[in-house]
Amino acid sequence: MIRFEKVFLRFDTGISLRELNFTIDQGEFLYLYGDSGSGKSSILKMIYMDLFPNSGTVSVLDFDSSQIKRRDIAIVRQKIGMVFQDFYLLSDRDIYSNIALPLEIQGLKADVVRRTVSLKADELGIRSRLSHYPHELSTGEQQRVALARAIVNSPDVLLVDEPLAHLDSTAAKEVVKHLWKINESGTSVIFATHNEKLLREDPARTMTLVSGEIVKDREA
Amino acid sequence: MKLSYIIREGIIGIKRSRMPFMNSVFSVTIALLVVGLGVLAVDNSLQFIGEFQADYDLEIFLENEATSFEKHELAAIIKDYPGIIRMDYLSKEDAAALYNAEFGEDVLSLLDDNPLPSSFRVTFEEDHRTAEYILAFIQNMNELDGVDEVIFKKDLFNRMQGIMQLVYTIATITLFLIILATVFLTANNLRLMILARYEFIETVRLLGASDFMVKAPFFLEGGILGFFGASLSVLLIVAAEYAIKYYVHIDLPVKILDHPEVILGLILFGVSLSSLGVLKAVRKMLRFVT
Repeated sequence: MIRFEKVFLRFDTGISLRELNFTIDQGEFLYLYGDSGSGKSSILKMIYMDLFPNSGTVSVLDFDSSQIKRRDIAIVRQKIGMVFQDFYLLSDRDIYSNIALPLEIQGLKADVVRRTVSLKADELGIRSRLSHYPHELSTGEQQRVALARAIVNSPDVLLVDEPLAHLDSTAAKEVVKHLWKINESGTSVIFATHNEKLLREDPARTMTLVSGEIVKDREA
Repeated sequence: MKLSYIIREGIIGIKRSRMPFMNSVFSVTIALLVVGLGVLAVDNSLQFIGEFQADYDLEIFLENEATSFEKHELAAIIKDYPGIIRMDYLSKEDAAALYNAEFGEDVLSLLDDNPLPSSFRVTFEEDHRTAEYILAFIQNMNELDGVDEVIFKKDLFNRMQGIMQLVYTIATITLFLIILATVFLTANNLRLMILARYEFIETVRLLGASDFMVKAPFFLEGGILGFFGASLSVLLIVAAEYAIKYYVHIDLPVKILDHPEVILGLILFGVSLSSLGVLKAVRKMLRFVT
């Protein structure tokens, strides 16, 4: 479903990723582990086609990074849910509108949107917050909103970038539990983190990155 | 359903950015106000010059011996001649009365007989008011029975035509420059308005919106903005015309309400300027968003 082949990524400041070769299958749960600057976020960005390799190819859901057209990037992204490090919640919209946005972009009917948003808000325990604005929520709640928006259209792949950075251990465990639950429904989850403790407790496949190179790929 | 998203987002966009939206509406209003007033000023100037030019373009003097039949024939020919908007017949008595009014003396008391000839005064339509066309008309008239002489104030006519041409040329160039400045200033203002929405554009693009779905609501918003701006400018022009009438006591010969095509033109210009300006600004921003 996702395949990196001889992927090199160079920034003006230096090389970010070197010769990456790996595949991620449908329904897989993968941790991308490494320190800040190791290349985790760059890999996620290449999966949702926000970054393109200088050489090699990234294939995502039958779309190839070397041939993809701009209009197809939108199609790929409609099949990928993303939880960004800084959430990307729209500050001038209430929580309901933020979660509903991916569905509205796809042109779904208003009652379908309403039903799906309520369902996801229930699942993540943020139903009572739907009429609030992002700045009125705690960081943990904002994170759950970002997660609800990422999964509201039942994506094939869910990308999560450092989701535990601002959370205490209880809230972090809750998020991980939610991600496994989402994974159980068939969605592949790619989880970028530098939380070593979490990996010790979790038996999932883990890819360890150091300075843009995969130094270890531990199978589940 | 995507259409409903576009309409809803277009309206939500206006609601959420009321101040930048109002700023842009006023910028379009001022720009179109300048353009509209410019167009009306030019039209009114040309009208004033045209009125000053003469009540008529030429006078056809008839022979003293011209019969009533010949006069009727001539009247019919002149009336049917293409490009003539007005024709007035002045009898010998009318001519004497005019002489009396102009010089304060009764021509009949100076001479036993009225020596002034009867005549036709002819005015041409705007499209046919060229020296070449009028000279051809004179040539045709001179060949007809009963016509003694055709007097055409060619020098004055040419001078006025020259002034009108000059006014027209200067006005066209000025208006073109104003429109250019208008487009530039409005586009700049719209770009600032769109820049404030970078967060939204980047987020919806990341959430899977195609370029079309990003641009369409902004295009609609631009159209609404342009419509309001242009309508407001039309209202202000009408108010200015009334102010000139009631406070300066000048009744302008050309008014915007008498010319729906100018109103329509301003509104279309406003709508297309704003919607295309917004579209260009969004397109430019999308270059920085994958």
